Amino acid sequence: MEIIMSILAGTLFGTGIYNLLQKQLLRIIIGTVLISNGAHLFILTMGELKRGQPPILREGVTDYVDPLPQALILTSIVISFGVTSLLLVLAYRASKENQTDNMDKMRGNEYE
Amino acid sequence: MSNLAALPIIIPLISGILLIFLHNRMTVVRILAKVLTLGNLAVVAYIAYYIYQNGTITLEAGGWQAPYGIVLVADMLSIILVLTTNLVAVAAVFYAPSSLSNKQEHFYFYTFYFLLITGVSGAFLTGDIFNLFVFYEVMLMASYALIVLGGGRIQLRESIKYVLINLFSSVLFVTTVAFLYSVVGTVNMAQLAERVGEVEQKGILTTIAILFFFVFAIKAALFPLYYWLPNSYVAPNPVVSALFGALLTKVGIYSILRVFTLIFIYDPNLQQFFIWIAGLTMLFGVIGALSTNNIKLVIAYNIIPAVGFMILGIGLFNQTAISGTVYYLVHDMIIKAALFLLVGAVAYLAGTTDLRKIKGFMHHYPVLGWLFLLATFVLAGIPPFSGFIGKLLLLQAGLASDRVIIVIIGLITSFLILLSLMRIFIQCFWGEKDNDAYTVDKQAARKFTLPVILLLFFSVVLGIGAEFFYPIAESIGKYLMNPEIYIDSVLKE
Amino acid sequence: MIFTVFFPLIIAIVIPFLNRFKKRIHTGVFALVVPLGIFLYFIRFIGEDFQPVSQQVPWIPSLNIMLDFYLDGLSLLFVLLISGIGALVTLYSIYYLHKNEKLGHFYVYLLMFMSAMLGVVLSDNVFVLYSFWELTSISSFLLIGYWNHRERSRYGALKSLLVTVFGGLSMFAGLILLSIITETTSIQEMVLQKEMLLNNDYFPLIMTFLLLGAFTKSAQFPFHIWLPDAMEAPTPVSAYLHSATMVKAGIFLVARFSPILSGSEWFFIVVSIVGIITLCWGSYMAVRQTDLKAILAFSTISQLGMIMAMLGFGTEVAVFAAAFHILNHATFKGSLFMVAGIVDHETGSRDIRKLGGLFTFLPITATLALFGTFSMAGVPLPFLNGFYSKEMFFDSALNLTEGSLTLTTFLRNVIPYLAVFGSIFTFVYSMYLFFGTFTGKGDIGSLPKRPHEAPVGMLVPPAILVVGIILIGLFPNMVNQPFLAHAAEAISGMKLEEKIAFWHGITPPFRMSLTVVGIGTLLFVFRNKWKGIYHAIPGPLSLNRVYDWLLEKTESYSSRMTKGYMNGSISRYVALILTTILLVTFTFMGFTEGFVMDTSNLAEVSTLEISIAIVMIVAAFGTIFSNNNIAAIIILGVVGYGISTLFVIYRAPDLALTQLIVETVTVALFLLCFYHLPKLRKNVDSKRTKIINSAIAISFGTLMTMVAISSHSSKWFEPISEYFIETSEELAGGDNVVNVILVDMRGLDTLFEITVLGIAALGIYGLIRLRNKKEENE
Repeated sequence: MEIIMSILAGTLFGTGIYNLLQKQLLRIIIGTVLISNGAHLFILTMGELKRGQPPILREGVTDYVDPLPQALILTSIVISFGVTSLLLVLAYRASKENQTDNMDKMRGNEYE
Repeated sequence: MSNLAALPIIIPLISGILLIFLHNRMTVVRILAKVLTLGNLAVVAYIAYYIYQNGTITLEAGGWQAPYGIVLVADMLSIILVLTTNLVAVAAVFYAPSSLSNKQEHFYFYTFYFLLITGVSGAFLTGDIFNLFVFYEVMLMASYALIVLGGGRIQLRESIKYVLINLFSSVLFVTTVAFLYSVVGTVNMAQLAERVGEVEQKGILTTIAILFFFVFAIKAALFPLYYWLPNSYVAPNPVVSALFGALLTKVGIYSILRVFTLIFIYDPNLQQFFIWIAGLTMLFGVIGALSTNNIKLVIAYNIIPAVGFMILGIGLFNQTAISGTVYYLVHDMIIKAALFLLVGAVAYLAGTTDLRKIKGFMHHYPVLGWLFLLATFVLAGIPPFSGFIGKLLLLQAGLASDRVIIVIIGLITSFLILLSLMRIFIQCFWGEKDNDAYTVDKQAARKFTLPVILLLFFSVVLGIGAEFFYPIAESIGKYLMNPEIYIDSVLKE
Repeated sequence: MIFTVFFPLIIAIVIPFLNRFKKRIHTGVFALVVPLGIFLYFIRFIGEDFQPVSQQVPWIPSLNIMLDFYLDGLSLLFVLLISGIGALVTLYSIYYLHKNEKLGHFYVYLLMFMSAMLGVVLSDNVFVLYSFWELTSISSFLLIGYWNHRERSRYGALKSLLVTVFGGLSMFAGLILLSIITETTSIQEMVLQKEMLLNNDYFPLIMTFLLLGAFTKSAQFPFHIWLPDAMEAPTPVSAYLHSATMVKAGIFLVARFSPILSGSEWFFIVVSIVGIITLCWGSYMAVRQTDLKAILAFSTISQLGMIMAMLGFGTEVAVFAAAFHILNHATFKGSLFMVAGIVDHETGSRDIRKLGGLFTFLPITATLALFGTFSMAGVPLPFLNGFYSKEMFFDSALNLTEGSLTLTTFLRNVIPYLAVFGSIFTFVYSMYLFFGTFTGKGDIGSLPKRPHEAPVGMLVPPAILVVGIILIGLFPNMVNQPFLAHAAEAISGMKLEEKIAFWHGITPPFRMSLTVVGIGTLLFVFRNKWKGIYHAIPGPLSLNRVYDWLLEKTESYSSRMTKGYMNGSISRYVALILTTILLVTFTFMGFTEGFVMDTSNLAEVSTLEISIAIVMIVAAFGTIFSNNNIAAIIILGVVGYGISTLFVIYRAPDLALTQLIVETVTVALFLLCFYHLPKLRKNVDSKRTKIINSAIAISFGTLMTMVAISSHSSKWFEPISEYFIETSEELAGGDNVVNVILVDMRGLDTLFEITVLGIAALGIYGLIRLRNKKEENE
C-alpha cells in the first residue's frame, strides 16, 4: 500500500508542478495546493501505514501508528493554509494592479 | 542558564506582538521598536559572551529531553550569527522611519520586522530539523508580508514570484524531512548526525542530502537557482531589501553549513559538487552585477557571488575553509545591509535607480560618497577590511587543497565585484555638479548615513581587529569539523 | 621605523582640520613636514657599514599577519626616494595648486599614498605588503580622479585602478602560494628556502602570479596603457607617483623576490623580454606624442622597461645598474615632470606643437630641462648621471649569462641590438622634448597665458633634483658603496664591488653610446621625414582599444547573457530550477545506488483505498484539463477531501478533521478569488512547451515517488516516536498522543505555526486595507 500511496503522492506532485508551470495565476495556485497535498501524503506514508490503532491511548492496546508524522502534518497543513490564503489575496491584488492574470505578462523590466 | 538560548527568539516575538496593539500610536511604536531592538541586541551580546565563556547552551523546550523534544542549541556559530542579525536589525530600525511611508509603518511594518528577526534567529538556534522548517516558515511569512507591504504594481508582481518559488522550496523541505525521518527515525539534528554516521550515509541518504541541499540552495540563491532573487530584492523598500539581502540568503547558507558539516559529511562527491557550484555561482552572479545599470539591482546581484564564496568554503571542507566561510558569512551580512541602505539612500535622494541619470553626488553628499567607496572596498575584499580576512582564508584553503582554478575564479570574481561597484561610484558620485536633476536634501541624507556608519564601523573593526575575531572563527571551524562535539553537547548531558 | 610608516596616515587624519586655516597657511605646508621628517630620519642609515634593521609589531598573529618591517639596502633606497621626492613634490605643489582647490583632499590622498608606499617597501610580511600595495592603487586612483569633473580624469582613474588591482590580486595569489609552501609569511624566511621553492611544482605559477603583479604596477608592456591616462592627475602627482615612486613598486617587487625567482632561467627570459619590449615600445611611442606629459609618461614606461630588463639580466653589473638607474631616473624624471608642470602653469598649454622658443621667457626652467633631458638621453658628458647607468646597461646587455635553453641563446644575441634601438629613441624623444619646447619659433601668441618665469618655490624642487643629477654625475662613487652597493646586495643576495667610472676607454658600451647619439641626432633632425611610420605601426591598432573593447564587451556580454535567462518569467524560472534539481538528484541517486525497493514491509492493499487513490489521480489530472471554474473547485475539493478520507483510513482522526476544515475554508477562498479573477482559460502554450512541461512534471513526480519508496525501504532505525507513546500519559497526562506532541513535546512548533498564521492574517489585512485607502484617496 505504501508504494501505491507514494505513487499517488508523486502524481499529486507531478500534476501540481505541471500546473505550476502554467501562465495563468489561478492554475499556478491550484498547482501549489496539489503539491502541498502531495507532500502531506508523503509524510503520512513515511510513518508506515496501518500498523496499529490511532495514537489515542487506550487500555489493552499496544500497537499504535507512528504519531510523530501526524503531528508534523498538522503543523504543515496549518502553515500551508496560511501561505495559500496569503497567496490567493496577493494574486488577486497583483492581477488587479497589473491588469492581467497571465504571469508571462508580469515579467517587467529593470527601470520601473 | 539554559533558558538564555530562547531569549533571542522570545524577545522579538513578544515585541512583534506587543506592537500590533500600539499601531495607532506611531511615535510610541517607533521609539519602542528602537528600544526593544537595542535591548535584544544587548541580551544577545550577553548570551554570546556567556557562551564564549561557558560553552554551548542547549535548551530542551518544555523539558522534553533530547532527542525527543525540540532542542535549541546556542553554540558559538549560532550566537555569532544571531548577534550579527541583531546588529543589522539595529541599523534597519534606525533607518526605517526615514525610508518608509507612514502607511507602511502603520500597517505593522515593525511587527513583521520583529517576527522576521524571530524566524531568522530561530533558524540559527534550533537543533531540530522540522523546527528549522517551522522557523523558515516564520521567516518567510514575515518576509512575504514585508515584501508586499504597501506595494504597487511592480512590487506585487515581484512578490508573487518570490512567494511561489519559496512556497515550492518549503513544500520540498517538509517532504524531504519526512523522507529522512523514514530512514533514520528522528528529526533531532544531533541524533540525525549520529545515525547517519552509523550507516555512513549509504543508500538513499545521499539523495536525500541533495534534496536538502536544493531546498537550502534555493533560499541561499546559489547557481542555478537564484533567478527569483535579484528583482524581488529590488522591488521593496530599501530597509526591507537590506534585511532580506543581509539575512535571508544567509539563513540558507547557514543551513547548508550546519547540515553538511554535521549530518551529511560522508560523501566527498558532494563536496566536489559544491566547489563546482561555488565557481559557477561566483561567475554568473558577478556577471549579473555587471549586466545592469540599475544601482539597486547591482547590489542585489552582488549577493550571489558572495554566497558562492561561502559555499566554496563548505566544499573545500577543512578547518581553514570553514573558518573562512564563517568569517565571510558575518562580514557579508553586515556589508550587504550597509550597501542596500546606501543605494537605497542614493536612489531616494536622486529619485531614480538608473546610474546613467545620476552624477556629481559627491558635491552634495560627500559623506555618502566616502561611505560608498569604503563599502566598495570592503565588499571587494581590499585589505585591511573584513572582506579581506574571509577571502584570504578561503583562498588559502583553496590553494592548500591544490584547487588553483577555483582560486583564479575567485580572484576574477573579486575583481569584477570591484568593477561593478566602481561603475556606480564613478558614475554617480564623481562628475560635474548636477543641480537640475534632483533637489538636494542634506537633512534626509544625514538620517540615512548614521545606520550605515554603524555597519561599516563593524566592517572595518572586523578587518583591522581580526586578531580578536579570527580566533573565534577558527574555533568555530574546528568545532564544525568535529561534529561529535555538537552531538555530545545535545545528546549526552 | 614603524612610526614612520604610519606617520603620514596619522597626519592625513588631521589634515581636514588643518585645512580650515588654508586662507592663511597653505595646507601643503603642514603636509611638507611629513616627508621631510621621514627623509631626515632615514638619511642617517646611509653608510658603508649599514646593517639591515628589523622591527616587529603583532597585528593578526593568529593568521601570521604581523607588521614586520625590515629595512635593508633596497628598502633604504626606496624609502629615501619616497620621502625625498615626496618632500620636493609637496613643496612644489604648494605653489602649483591654488588655494581654491580642494587642498584637504589632495594632501590626504598624497599622505595616504606616502604611507602605503613606505609600507610596501618596508614590509617583510607578504600580506602586509599586499595590504599596502592595494592602498597605493587606491590612493593613486583618488589622485588621478582628483579633478573628477573631467571625463578623461575619471576614465584614467578607473583604468589605473582596474589594471593595478588586477595585478594586485594576481600577486596576492602568488603570495598565498608562497606562504603555504614555505609555511611562513616573512619574505626573509622565504628567501632562505629558495632551493626548495625552485623545485616546487607551483614555482612557475608563483612566478607568473608575482610577475603579473609587478608588470601591471610598473606599467610594463602590454599593461602600460594605464600610465599615459594617469597623467590626468595634477602634475605634482604625476611627478611623484607616476614617475618616481608608485610605478617603481613593481620594480621593487621583482627586486625583492629576485633572490628566489632569479634561480630560474625563465625568470631571465620573461623579465628581460618584457623589459626590453617595454623599453623599445615606450621610447618609440614617446616620439609620437604631442602632450608634454604624455611624452614623459611614455618615457617613464620605457625607462621602467629598462630597469626591469636589467633586473631580468640578473648579472652583477645589471643589478647594480638597476639600483643606480632607479635613483637616476627619479632625479631626472622628477625634475622634468616639474618642468612640464611649470610650462603648463605659466603658459596654460602642454601641447608641444604650440610651444617653442620658451627659452627666452623661462630661462631658468629651460636650463633645468636641459640637464634633465640630456641626462635622460644618456649623452656622454661627465656631469650627467644618466649616462653612467645607460653605459652600465649596455655593458650588462653585452655580458648576459649563458643558459641551457635555446631561447636564452637567442636572447643573448638579440638583446644588445634592442637595447641600442630603444636608447636611440630615448635620445630622440629627449631632444624632441627639450628643443621642441624651448627653442625654435613658438607660437607664443596662441598660448592661453603670456609666459613668464615661474615663482621661486616652483623652481627650487626641480633645481635640487638637477643639482642631484650633476653631483651624482661628477662624483658617482659618492653614492656607490654607502648606498647603492647595499641595495644591489639586497637584490642579488651577494656583496658587490662595482666601481663607477666615466672613462673606460673605447669599450663596446661606449661605442654603443656613440651610435645612439649619432643615429639619434640624425633621426631627430629628420624626424618629419619618417614620421609616417606611425601610421603603419601602431597605426589604428592600439592596446587602449583592447582595454576599451574588453570593458565594453564585459558589460554588453554580461547584459546579453544575463537578460537571456533572467527574463522575468516565473514558469521559466521554475522549469530551470526543477530541471537542475532533477538532473543533479538523479545523477547522485544513480551513483550512490540510492534507489532500493523492499516489498517485505508493506501494509496490505485494500480496494477502498485503491478506489480513493484512483479517484484522486483522475481528479489531479482533471485540474490540468479543466477550463471551468466550478469544475476546478470540485476537482480540487475531491483531492482535498480524498486526503481527509485517507487520513481517516490511516488512523489519523485529528488530521482528517483539520484537513476537512482547512479544505473547506480554502475552497471558500478560492470561490472568492474565482469571483474576482478572470476565468480559467484553455492552455495556449505551444506543443513544445507542453511536452517540456509534462516531461519535467512527470520526472519530478517520479523522482519523489522513487525517493519515497526507497526511503520507506531503508528504515534502518527505530523511530523516536515510541518514546512519545510510552511517556505521553505518564509525563504529559494526555492520551491523544498527537495532541500531546503538538502542545507539549513539540509545543515550540505549534507556537510558531500559530505565529505564521498570525503574520498571514496581518499581511492579508495590510494587502487589502492599504489598497482601499489608496483607492479612497484617488
